[in-house]
Amino acid sequence: MISQTAIKHLQEKLGEKNVLHEKEDLLVLGYDSTPGVHHLPEVVVYPTSTEQVLAAMEIAAREGLPLVPRGSGTGLSGGSVPVRGGMVLTLTRMNRILEIDEENLTATVEPGVITLDLFNAVAAKGLFYPPDPGSQKISTIGGNVAENAGGLRGLKYGVTRDYVMGLKGILPDRSLITTGGKSVKDVAGYGFKDLLVGSEGTLGIITEVTVKLVPPPRDKRTFLAYFNDVRTAGEAVSRIIAARIIPSTMEIMDRETINCVEDYVKIGLPRQMAALLLIEVDGHPAPVAEEAAEVRRVLEQVKAAEIHVAETAEQAASLAAARRTALSALARVSPTTLLEDATVPRSRLAETFGEIERLAAKFKLKVGTFGHAGDGNLHPTVLCDERNHDEMARAHAFYNELYEKVLDWGGTVSGEHGIGLAKKEYLARQIGAGGVRVMKRIKQSFDPEGLLNPGKIFEDHDPEAEQHLEEGFRVSH
Amino acid sequence: MSHTDSLGNFRPKDAPDYEDVLQCMRCGFCLPTCPTYALTGRERSSPRGRVALARAVAEKKLEFTGAVKEEAFFCLDCRACTTACPSGVKAGEVMEVCRSQSHDFYPLGAIGKTFREFILQRMLVSPDLLEHAMLPTRLYQRLGLQWLVRHLGVLKLGPGWMAKAEGMLPSLEKPLRSQLPEVIPAQGEKRGRVGFFLGCVMTLLYPQVSRQTVRVLAHQGYEVVTPRATKCCGAPHLSEGDRQTARELALFNLELFLAQDVDWIVTDCAGCGAALKEYEEILAEDADHHRLALFRAKVRDISEFLAAEGLRTEGLREVRRAVTYHEPCHLCHAQGISSQPRQLLKSVPGLELREMAESSWCCGSAATWGLKYSEESRQVLDRKLQNVAATQAEILVTANPGCHLQLAWGVRQADMPQEVRHLMEILGEAIPD
Ligand SMILES: Cc1cc2nc3c(=O)[nH]c(=O)nc-3n(C[C@H](O)[C@H](O)[C@H](O)COP(=O)(O)OP(=O)(O)OC[C@H]3O[C@@H](n4cnc5c(N)ncnc54)[C@H](O)[C@@H]3O)c2cc1C
Ligand code: SF4
Ligand code: SF4
Repeated sequence: MISQTAIKHLQEKLGEKNVLHEKEDLLVLGYDSTPGVHHLPEVVVYPTSTEQVLAAMEIAAREGLPLVPRGSGTGLSGGSVPVRGGMVLTLTRMNRILEIDEENLTATVEPGVITLDLFNAVAAKGLFYPPDPGSQKISTIGGNVAENAGGLRGLKYGVTRDYVMGLKGILPDRSLITTGGKSVKDVAGYGFKDLLVGSEGTLGIITEVTVKLVPPPRDKRTFLAYFNDVRTAGEAVSRIIAARIIPSTMEIMDRETINCVEDYVKIGLPRQMAALLLIEVDGHPAPVAEEAAEVRRVLEQVKAAEIHVAETAEQAASLAAARRTALSALARVSPTTLLEDATVPRSRLAETFGEIERLAAKFKLKVGTFGHAGDGNLHPTVLCDERNHDEMARAHAFYNELYEKVLDWGGTVSGEHGIGLAKKEYLARQIGAGGVRVMKRIKQSFDPEGLLNPGKIFEDHDPEAEQHLEEGFRVSH
Repeated sequence: MSHTDSLGNFRPKDAPDYEDVLQCMRCGFCLPTCPTYALTGRERSSPRGRVALARAVAEKKLEFTGAVKEEAFFCLDCRACTTACPSGVKAGEVMEVCRSQSHDFYPLGAIGKTFREFILQRMLVSPDLLEHAMLPTRLYQRLGLQWLVRHLGVLKLGPGWMAKAEGMLPSLEKPLRSQLPEVIPAQGEKRGRVGFFLGCVMTLLYPQVSRQTVRVLAHQGYEVVTPRATKCCGAPHLSEGDRQTARELALFNLELFLAQDVDWIVTDCAGCGAALKEYEEILAEDADHHRLALFRAKVRDISEFLAAEGLRTEGLREVRRAVTYHEPCHLCHAQGISSQPRQLLKSVPGLELREMAESSWCCGSAATWGLKYSEESRQVLDRKLQNVAATQAEILVTANPGCHLQLAWGVRQADMPQEVRHLMEILGEAIPD
């Protein structure tokens, strides 16, 4: 239990407004977007500066409170859920854009800046920040860096890691660290920066991020292609890549997803189609025209049922926006939406769809699938009810078998959402016991006291965490 | 799980539906659209947080605490979250239901109760009493302010509330209800018979607006029936958590309008329209479903109605003004009507529509919210006024009396040049005498 003196100290250092400990505030900061996990912290702090982060960290260490960094809580692997209680440190009030450097093409921001706000701020200066997770309207840059978030443009432009040039942060031993910076090249010592990217809040608290910006594409063409079966859509993806074309976006939605999204956006997506591909090619006008022609040729070749081209930029944007709502829209159908992050080499895409269909039938589950098809990154989503224990067990079995196949094919258990709580059991299967051992040693050398975000990423036979997995839903304290 | 199991710590009567609450997948898409989250940055004052609180009460992880009550009333009920939520969660409505729960958990003191009942259950249900009460002095003074003082305790109101409430009042004419003929004949080729639902605030504070509305309707070829017996739509009661009186009013209006043999039921008050369209839900357990469906099928906001029927534009006069349009929450979020008012404005010859940024962001009025949270309301309003100012339009158009009061007050306070007008006043200007 956190002591009253500790709360007083926190209030002195951070200001009363930035320290919350009423039960109602704790309740609403014990979740992220991952279904079935809810644990209460003992105190929530909202630092407004690096000094305040440090002060909060010192108090947490002194009190022996686990410390869990949090952005907007849109994570899909339980990363910011305080499984062992303690202090949730929310960075959303550190949300200043510190600098947009037009000469070096960089932007330096505090971690709580909303992804879309950064995108818009640099766009206003004629620059482009490509990473665009589906949650961009509300996810934070800090959260993106900590999860190494991908997005709709990942296929051509890469993921968050590819844009992080420098980080500042505080390590669990309370030392301030600066790694990387504005220099395009930097091979001084171990690549700490790359370790922190994707560290899911377990190695350090990121307090400043410098990202790379690029010139925006001059031209783009957006296609919407419909298919009478999902496997053909998968095949279209493989063929487009095989034709040596890297679209900036190649997103897929199956029938279930199309219908849920249409229920929300009402833009006339055809409900009877088995799948849709949203394809965008961008770059200089001449190659874009050529690539667009080639994309159309492939789509015709595989016999897409319908091919449309967005007529205006607004239309293209609204299609991408519709795709971004896919997961939330699927949540209409059932009380619980269990989503996974199965990622395979692209050549396996059509097979993966086949496997998802087969397993859904085998376990009698309703599954909607959408995802970043061009990256081989699919989100098969089981639509279920967490109150139905039998159904939850079948969902678990479904993912188990699916991941077995995915790993056999050289895929990964997480393309972008991270391991967090949700995928701990699968991590060891993918990287092996040796891999886990090394990762744990890295964690230990950063955080010998186990202060930062304990209970995440690794299966550690933590009875509390296991109970939580079994019960599916639990509130501590 | 049976229905009662899922009530958890809620009282059985008028509890939020657990299934509705469970639907939230906590994606956070609603956060950037919520004015109270923008004000506080506090998760529990966000739609996602509020739904989580309701869920915790339903799951017995939380009592219906003072903080839950506070959030229920701090929510503006602007429904921006409903528009934003891909999963179909209605956090604002869940909070509206929680308001009625809160009266069970935190009964008002004797005086507060008397006054609340006096206003909601005597004055607002009786148009005659309401008009009488307000004729000698002013509505807010006589009813609203006194009631607020007693009901909420003056100290809970922010500083300056009295001045603000005073300053908001437009100069009053005679209530329209007594002046409007019950039946106004259609002009030109008759297109149908419309029941006009005249709102309380419209008849009392903005009679000139509704006068234009019926004029436009008649000019457009509709016979207009305005039943004099119409009672309050029930929105203030829902907003204050008095669902029982809201139901009684709803039932009365339903029967009254179905008896008029009209093709449509039209209103020019976004708040009334939203309430009328929700009669189906409010009365789900009390009324015949066939009659509810029949009633619902006829209800239209005036802009929705005219846009769908097609405005007859022959002979419209030019209105050479630059206007910008503020979308009332109860129009765009509660009724999903967003393009129609713009469409009508664009069909007025000479009129220039200049879009403001965040046109569907709340103005901060929200029934009595603007008086209870006067400081916060001011901040919400300032954001709106900045966006208005940036357009440099001459007229600020809206379509709801609550917004009208708040915006007109704000524009005066800020010394801005804009006139605030209801959409129907603009159309009225375009229509020749
Ligand atoms: C509808 C929807 C669509 C999504 N689409 C995508 C997508 O396309 N691609 C994708 O990759 N993800 C996607 N996500 C997942 C999620 O949005 C991302 O993981 C996002 O990066 C999380 O950001 P956040 O600010 O919400 O972080 P949180 O969820 O609050 O935290 C995520 C992790 O980061 C840590 N963390 C947060 N801030 C810091 C910091 N400053 N320092 C150190 N650690 C920190 C936390 O401890 C936690 O482990 C989606 C989620 C939703 C709900
Ligand atoms: S209310 Fe809707 S938009 Fe908001 S978090 Fe829940 S599901 Fe997402
Ligand atoms: S109704 Fe408005 S104030 Fe209330 S939760 Fe929704 S967006 Fe926020």
